[in-house]
Amino acid sequence: MSAKKSVRTICGVTAIIAGLGISTVAAGADLMKPGGYPERTVSIIVPYGPGGGSDQVARAWATAMQKITGVGFSVENKPGGGGLAAMPDFMGRPKDGYTILEQTDGIITAEAAKQIDFTLGKDLIPICVTQATFSQVYIRPDENRYTDWASFVAYAKKNPGQVNLANIGVEGSMEVVQWGAIEDAAGIKVKQISFDKPAERYASLIGGHTDALFEQPGDVRKYLEGGQMKAILNVLSSSPDAFKDVPSLNDANIGDVPVLQRVRLFWVHKDVPKERQEYLVKACDAAFKTDDYQKFNQSKYMHLARSYYGGQDATDLVRGLVDAYVALYKKIGFTK
Amino acid sequence: MDDFILGFTTLFFDPTGLAVFFGGLIGGLMFGAIPGLSAVTLATVLLPFSVYFAPSHAIMLLAVIYVSGIYGGAITAILFNIPGSAENAPTAFDGYPMTQKGESGRAIGAAVTCSALGGIGSCVLMMAATEPLANWAIRAFGPPEIFALIFLGLSIAATVGAETVWKGWLSVLFGLLLGTIGTDPAGGLARFDFGINYLMAGIHFVPLILGFFAVSEVFIQGHQIARGLRVPPALGIDFPSLAEFWRLKFAVVRSMLIGFFSGILPGIGAVLAAFLSYGEAVRWSKHPERFGKGEIEGVVASETANNAATGAAMIPLLALGLPGGALTAVMVGAFQIHGMEPGPLVLITSKDLVWVVFVAMFFANVGIFLLGYIETKTVVHLLRVPFSLLAPAILLIASIGAYALRGLVVDVWVMFLAGIVGYLMRRSGYSMAAVVLGVILGQLGESAFIKSMQLLDYNPLNFFTRPVSTILLVLGAASLAYSIRRATRSISGKDAVKPHVP
Repeated sequence: MSAKKSVRTICGVTAIIAGLGISTVAAGADLMKPGGYPERTVSIIVPYGPGGGSDQVARAWATAMQKITGVGFSVENKPGGGGLAAMPDFMGRPKDGYTILEQTDGIITAEAAKQIDFTLGKDLIPICVTQATFSQVYIRPDENRYTDWASFVAYAKKNPGQVNLANIGVEGSMEVVQWGAIEDAAGIKVKQISFDKPAERYASLIGGHTDALFEQPGDVRKYLEGGQMKAILNVLSSSPDAFKDVPSLNDANIGDVPVLQRVRLFWVHKDVPKERQEYLVKACDAAFKTDDYQKFNQSKYMHLARSYYGGQDATDLVRGLVDAYVALYKKIGFTK
Repeated sequence: MDDFILGFTTLFFDPTGLAVFFGGLIGGLMFGAIPGLSAVTLATVLLPFSVYFAPSHAIMLLAVIYVSGIYGGAITAILFNIPGSAENAPTAFDGYPMTQKGESGRAIGAAVTCSALGGIGSCVLMMAATEPLANWAIRAFGPPEIFALIFLGLSIAATVGAETVWKGWLSVLFGLLLGTIGTDPAGGLARFDFGINYLMAGIHFVPLILGFFAVSEVFIQGHQIARGLRVPPALGIDFPSLAEFWRLKFAVVRSMLIGFFSGILPGIGAVLAAFLSYGEAVRWSKHPERFGKGEIEGVVASETANNAATGAAMIPLLALGLPGGALTAVMVGAFQIHGMEPGPLVLITSKDLVWVVFVAMFFANVGIFLLGYIETKTVVHLLRVPFSLLAPAILLIASIGAYALRGLVVDVWVMFLAGIVGYLMRRSGYSMAAVVLGVILGQLGESAFIKSMQLLDYNPLNFFTRPVSTILLVLGAASLAYSIRRATRSISGKDAVKPHVP
């Protein structure tokens, strides 16, 4: 399978499930608490530091879930190891539904790369995906060494290994694979610096310690609007209206680069009683539809594409993405 | 000044605003004092309700909780060796020995006054120059500078509370070793986990400090009672005198600055502020050997710095939209609930709100002083409770704190294990303060070191291509050399320090 086909697989899985998913969203009206669950505060473990995209999603979701369930949802940040340091902590917690894990596609790529010894959808059950988005590359607006993607590439070619990119993630993660593909296609080589705490990552670009940043637009919207960052590349085949002045991969003549989505979703352990899992899926459906969460989603540019998958749809999306990454890894030689 | 007056009138001429202010002040104080719970817990619980508040009240409530919560943990740290939160741990290093010496009133008085002073000082700086300070801090400090700062902090850690400098270093190294257990901060590789999930996640800091401080203390006191050696601490309700504060003026200013600049840097915050400030107090003191044994300057350093960090942490949040810690991230949530995003625009578009928050934080620090003064005269009387009743209460509160953290019984066992290890180590002249410094600074330092190495092409010499990191590293190396010189002299018997623990 070519890289392009892998991408098509990733996009295809998304599209098929998009057709199936609406009914699930519309269902979820019956919110009877099974055996009184939940009756106390539920913890959400976020595998990254405060202030980043995952943290923002978890906090907005926590507020919406609190409204639906009537109990508190508190966020615990556990950054480290590109999102994997939180896993042992989560796996060690009581399996009673009072601890929910947020993970990104980072856990999906970890399974595809055989970095974890459990199976997604079997050992770790997705409750819902509440965000699916694309990435961009950012620079400082007052940067004078380069001002757009073309001049950034030219500068990086002239100064190989001298340009830094603030990024996140372990080998094989979406960020590293995506940036690696962009680098190869553009014929440049930059140093990637891994920051697990988003505030540090953003400060590193704004403060001039790094030269560019790989991130998702919803996560850094306020910096874009505040004039602290500027997008120079949409990691998409064609630019969406909201970013039509920024070149897409095709505009930058690197259209062969696979487009990898950032997904953010919530999970429980398989041993959490089934009725509690089902309750959480229904509660998530209802939470996603609250005005506040919808407003949040729009502010993160999530209305540009489908960003919700609940219950079985979420599991299907996850399995589809694992298969697509396995194929992509073979193609790029990351795994055999 | 006009902005300050505007904020003042908006806050204090509005009964709802006043109710929110005092609710936050007292709530933060209580949640800060209970181990396992913190100001963040209270803020998270209250966040969804903040939708019913006016935006300025919602943000102000969280800011006030932040200020009083950071101070709240000092009381239990001083009276019972139970730091309510991690940022109060260095307060216990000297605060509790002061209680043992019958100086609890002096210790609490110093904590109260210095928390208020640190907080007020940082509020003034925050009001004066939020935007330029935020921009300066994130430009001047990247990962290499943060690593160098932590190295400087570590270089002094060995001198805190141990019988000899060698034992101090062993304590620090033990702390560094404990800090490496778990998943590494860059590649996600498990270390020293022995296939156990719990260890793979890293040992949590809270059960560790509860064990090292509170539980080991109960064992030590019990041991003394069994041998008939225990003398109950005298009750001290005397506030430190003005002359004493005047003597400590440089320590207060230094700690305020350290706390302030630690607070500004995203990802650093009040915990490191307290630890670094404590380390500097030891370094600058003419009597470093007194630290860890009831030196008032230790309490001053820790409490001034952790409260100074609160005002400072608002600076990157408001000026750049960067939340450096958990509580400021909750504040971002409160902004978003009300349809706003903290960042440069807030300073322009919502100036009224920002000034209400500034004024509320300023007066929350004044409030700490008033409430704290009352506490000094009242809470201290808890020490009259016989130790045979106090000990089970301490163990119970510590156990609840360790369990409440994440609902894991194993955290309670780890706490007791840390208590036993702490008891044995303290009996042998090792320093728990140095161990804890090693754990905290080690974890933050490793993360900064890895990022620095990536930035600096994996060549450690490149640390010296950056002026700020060069200065900090050279100071750290000099301090290390001095410490080794002292250690070798103490072996030859010239500079031996007497043990302070049984």
